[in-house]
Amino acid sequence: MPIYPETDKRCSLISLVSHVRTGDCIAIGGGLSWREPMAALRELIRQGVKDLKLVGSAHGIDVDLLCGAGCVAISAESYVGFEQDFGMALNYRRACETGVVKVEDNCCYTMVQQLRAAIQGLPFMPVRSVQGTDFIKLHPEFKTMVCPFTGETLVLVPALKPDIALLHVHYADSQGNLHIDGPPVADILFAKAAAKVIVTAEQIISPEELAQLGVTIPYFYVTALSEAPYGAHPTACYPRYAYDRDHTATYYQAAKKGADYFQENYLKPFVQDCPDQASYLTMVGGEAKLSRLAQWRESQEQWQRLYE
Amino acid sequence: MSKREKITRCTLGELMIYQIALTIEDGILAFHGFGSPLVQIALHLAKRSHAPNLILVAGATYGINPKPPFLTPTTNDFAMNRDAECHLSIEELFDLAASGRLGRMFLSGLQIDRWGNMNVTRLGDDQRLTLKLPGGGGGCNLSADADRITIWTAAHRTLPDDKGRRRYRLAEHCDFITSVGHRTAQGLPRSAMTYRGRGPDCIVTDLGVFGFNQDGHAQLRATYPDTTLELITENTGFAFPVAENLKTAALPEPEMIEFIRFFDPLKIHQRELSAEDRTRFFDLKAV
Repeated sequence: MPIYPETDKRCSLISLVSHVRTGDCIAIGGGLSWREPMAALRELIRQGVKDLKLVGSAHGIDVDLLCGAGCVAISAESYVGFEQDFGMALNYRRACETGVVKVEDNCCYTMVQQLRAAIQGLPFMPVRSVQGTDFIKLHPEFKTMVCPFTGETLVLVPALKPDIALLHVHYADSQGNLHIDGPPVADILFAKAAAKVIVTAEQIISPEELAQLGVTIPYFYVTALSEAPYGAHPTACYPRYAYDRDHTATYYQAAKKGADYFQENYLKPFVQDCPDQASYLTMVGGEAKLSRLAQWRESQEQWQRLYE
Repeated sequence: MSKREKITRCTLGELMIYQIALTIEDGILAFHGFGSPLVQIALHLAKRSHAPNLILVAGATYGINPKPPFLTPTTNDFAMNRDAECHLSIEELFDLAASGRLGRMFLSGLQIDRWGNMNVTRLGDDQRLTLKLPGGGGGCNLSADADRITIWTAAHRTLPDDKGRRRYRLAEHCDFITSVGHRTAQGLPRSAMTYRGRGPDCIVTDLGVFGFNQDGHAQLRATYPDTTLELITENTGFAFPVAENLKTAALPEPEMIEFIRFFDPLKIHQRELSAEDRTRFFDLKAV
């Protein structure tokens, strides 16, 4: 497994995303409506990267957007949806049901064990679960064995080494030490198991300030990083900004009207015609919108109002 | 809680939350996943009523014993995690289950069979996928590892289509087994597997409550004040045994209903219910 000793990993969003190659296996950080690396995913779509294999736990708009843009060949996520908020992920569904995306669904702990095997330099890890379910059929690479110590039948799941871990974090220093506020979800495991770790950060700060906040992921795992304020929008990056439910509704309604409508009315205006993150932020409502998303902390009423 | 109106009736959602809460033992470690507001509320209700020593692990954030100011439309939201006493990592939560420390988990499915196997992965057979469902998260692993599973669904009632066919939620067969109940996909009894947990012990639905009998088969335990054995039979895709002492499910106390309304001011939990089910009310004095 590589390490990255360089002292300055900063680069443009375009250079950052150019680490991703067609056919790569990508682990996308964050989870559900929380801290998805959306700015980097939009850039990835603009760069026309195709045939990706996606691995992860519980995801939503990130995976759905890549499916809607035709970037995905295989999904090995364990959940892709908008929960009770909007329901099914429609671009993802279409891509799976038409056969464009091959379904290789996985489960959270199975993936955790596979990542741990990679992190520990082992070929596999065992689990008690999975046997007796149809995941065994979906994953012929899973094997069963009788434990030589207890005689119990266990399922062995092979090491998972993503080509790329793509993360969005609150703070980084120029060397790539990362600080995440709140749930890291699987980001730390992804960073340690992947060959390359590419990161967008809300803000790049000094090593002293970063050390004060605490290092969630040490710099030597990190390949490259780029500053991207509001880089998780429309998902949340608390405490800086809440989940943009209004924009997600716009997204969802566009997806609901079919692939062509989604292309013309979401992908074109919000992704392809926005050359960078700054133009995207203007497009979604600019300063007025962004300050509204930061108002969650002023009162519970303001917070609730974002979700009505 | 400033509401002074006297509470004289509850909604179906409130009844289901209460029934789910009743399955939660005091002093256990329990986890709610995501996309499950009825369960999220049930855990907080249980902790504030009969299970004060419950160790509540919040889904998605893995916060321990948080005190959310209100229920949010998505699960991985700071509000759901407020004032958590500490946090687990994803691996720690699943390790707790794998080592036998997770007392109860809550799972649902688009298809639920008589043994409590469930499908949230896909409809159609191996050759042809007809509907891709969102997927099961960690449900596959936790259905084997958690000591007990509470199954719930708010879509037990299935209306016939114009040809008179029903797509049962409680179904004869799962097109794909995402999570395991008391018999595996190959028909083996659960006892033949080296799972950690003992499997599902109830199904709380919009029509009633099932337990599981000695064979691991779903068995009707309770109806609701506006449902009957006949109605439940008509809406279930398999024949099922009925408990000798079939009851009408108990309704929540007014203070519990007050808590639910206070905790979920945006009525997020009603999104799990059909429009028709949102108009079902139960008079607290009638039972």
